[in-house]
Amino acid sequence: MAVGVPAVEASGLVKRFGGLIAVDHVDLRVDVGEVYGILGPNGAGKTTFLRMLFGLIRPDAGTLRVFGRTWGDAGPSMLDGVAGFIESPRFYPYLSGRRNLNLLAGLDRGGADSRIDEVLDVVDLARRAGDKVGGYSFGMRQRLGVAASLLRDPRLLVLDEPANGLDPAGIRDMRALVKRLAAGGLTVLLSSHNMDEVEEICDNVTIMRTGRVVYHGSIDQLRAQAPDPSHRLMTSDDEQALRLAAGHRAVAVSVHPDGGLALRAQAADADAYIIALGRSNLAVRALHLEIAPLESLFFMLTETDPEAGFGEPAQTQPDTLTGVTS
Amino acid sequence: MPRPTSNRLIRAAVAVGAVTALTAALAGCATDVTRPRVEASVGPVFTNLYVQQQALLGRPGLTPAAVAAKPDCHRSTPGSHDRGAGSDWICQVGWTDAAGRAQNGKFELQVRSNGCYQAGGPTKIVGPVMIQTSTGKNVINPVFEFDGCFDTT
Amino acid sequence: MTTPATTATAPVPPATACPRPVGRGRVVTAYRWEITKLAAQARTRATLAVCLVAPFVFVVLLDRQDRLPKDTLYGRWVHASGFATPLLVLGFAAQWVFPLLTSLVAGDIFASEDQHGTWKTILTRSHSRTQIFWAKALAAATFAVLLLAVLALSCLAAGVLLVGHQPLESLSGTLLPSGRTAGLVLAAWASTLPPLLGFTALGIMLSVLTRSSPAGIVGPIILGLLMQLYAFLNGADTIRHLLLVTPFDAWHGLLAAHPYYGPLRDGTLVSVGYILICLAIAYTALRRRDITGG
Repeated sequence: MAVGVPAVEASGLVKRFGGLIAVDHVDLRVDVGEVYGILGPNGAGKTTFLRMLFGLIRPDAGTLRVFGRTWGDAGPSMLDGVAGFIESPRFYPYLSGRRNLNLLAGLDRGGADSRIDEVLDVVDLARRAGDKVGGYSFGMRQRLGVAASLLRDPRLLVLDEPANGLDPAGIRDMRALVKRLAAGGLTVLLSSHNMDEVEEICDNVTIMRTGRVVYHGSIDQLRAQAPDPSHRLMTSDDEQALRLAAGHRAVAVSVHPDGGLALRAQAADADAYIIALGRSNLAVRALHLEIAPLESLFFMLTETDPEAGFGEPAQTQPDTLTGVTS
Repeated sequence: MPRPTSNRLIRAAVAVGAVTALTAALAGCATDVTRPRVEASVGPVFTNLYVQQQALLGRPGLTPAAVAAKPDCHRSTPGSHDRGAGSDWICQVGWTDAAGRAQNGKFELQVRSNGCYQAGGPTKIVGPVMIQTSTGKNVINPVFEFDGCFDTT
Repeated sequence: MTTPATTATAPVPPATACPRPVGRGRVVTAYRWEITKLAAQARTRATLAVCLVAPFVFVVLLDRQDRLPKDTLYGRWVHASGFATPLLVLGFAAQWVFPLLTSLVAGDIFASEDQHGTWKTILTRSHSRTQIFWAKALAAATFAVLLLAVLALSCLAAGVLLVGHQPLESLSGTLLPSGRTAGLVLAAWASTLPPLLGFTALGIMLSVLTRSSPAGIVGPIILGLLMQLYAFLNGADTIRHLLLVTPFDAWHGLLAAHPYYGPLRDGTLVSVGYILICLAIAYTALRRRDITGG
């Protein structure tokens, strides 16, 4: 995959706000044509990283190249071929959607005016384009943000939490749109705090926690490292079931804080345990998946005190996990 | 971090002190409003307005050169050294009227720091605020109260 | 979002191959959009409308009462000559009206991007901060010039139409011929442009530094009033010459029988000083700041 100039290449990137280190020596490489996810809880430094990518924030150290250009030697031309939005897209509320796009097309290089109808159509806003943005719903502004990005005819599309604040239908549409755009060869850099989203859309992922990269690699590789899925189990006699679990080494059963039991195991081991419950005259009243494997891995990686069970934390031995994409 | 804070305090105090000292020093320096400037302005302005007033009253043909008002101005506040803006400027103005008689009147001036002033004359000599022209119209008496400005640079 | 995406699929040729306007051309583009944005805002239109109508209302109200505003220059002559109206308003407007009017736009033009969170929207296109800065500064200056022109012409029209074009007293006790007076009145108004632009620059600086429209709008007014207060309290004249309100009086020299231009020259220099310093601070601050909001 690593052919030619990468779309984004960061090395040793650092940004401090006062005493707080928002981005702490981040290395990252997004190759042309891939859909790349930056995953992390709120405050992990994803948005700060993307703001640095757009030149909105100056890094304190390190370099950041976009298609081989740096902000220092290219200025705003560094963003040629790059489009996207940070957090929720914002527009002038006293202008119509179309007028906002006119303005942004003007601030680009002109010539994009003719494509406004086209991009409004892509995001299904053509009918409301004449209304003032002040009256738009959150989802409509989000879609106008995508339209404003497409107006630049980008090669790299940067989306910061694109599903944030959208209803389920909006999320579905947004993901479908991103997939369609990616299928057309567009490089997409997407930040999210939602593992599902990244798993569904992205090829490669960087997981961040408090400014640091804690995982870096492909989704497939991440899946292989995922811990056992976690279930919530309700039985006719939880105490008895808990005692029975002591005989099953491969399952981890504990009292669930919200009642019932928490069961963590691979599918086959969980099956064996549940059959054993039935044999011991214990009825299973409910069993449902609480945390998907990748999601629980994500929590392990990003919670302040990673629990035992997952190998070495990546920040101490980055070499074991990084380098997949390069 | 007590040290940087106290450093900043000291720096701020030094700056405030310097500005205060500078202000005090400059305050004692030359002022824009001086006796020669006031006198050089009040004389011609009054002369011109007096010529206008006399014309309104039916005595045209009077020239500024014939009126030749000469003011003698002072500030009434002790220690003011006849300089600086204030409403305590008094000008004793002497001039020649249309009949060739010498006139004299005391004018009170309110001089602003921008070089503009408002002067009020004695009603007995310059007339009331409104006067009747020779054609019977009621108009503002130009010399009852008048404004003037002088260059302060 | 049901239509298949047909855009953004074709590989784009390298950006450097495209012809691109030079820096100045981009400032003009951004400037045009700043003007469009201003024109779309109710506040801008209302301000200009008030400048157009208020002088006529002022003259009508003045006509109805006997007491003359004698404390302001030309106040005593408002019923005697229509040319006194624009000069009376000029003397009065310098107190706080000019700082208010110009900062309505200048104090808001940068901070409103913070308020709407749109810095990231415009700065992630193909314009640099420098280009956006000059476009905005030019737009604010344009508004100031327009405001001054509208107010001057409206005051002159109100005076001449409602009172008449009788000869006007000069500040030396002579009558000015009415043929030259209109020109002198307009020149007097034009002479307040440098300090007005000084206040525009002050508004721009506060708008950039505080990132708050109220502070950007009220700040110049308060600073203007403090400067007035300093002059009123007879502070040291050396410092008074360095205040931005002092050049607002420079027109007095134009209305003398023997005009003097010293105050106009000094006032212009002081105004240019304010403009340069305020713009330099604003420019540096905008270039350096991290856009974290929005």
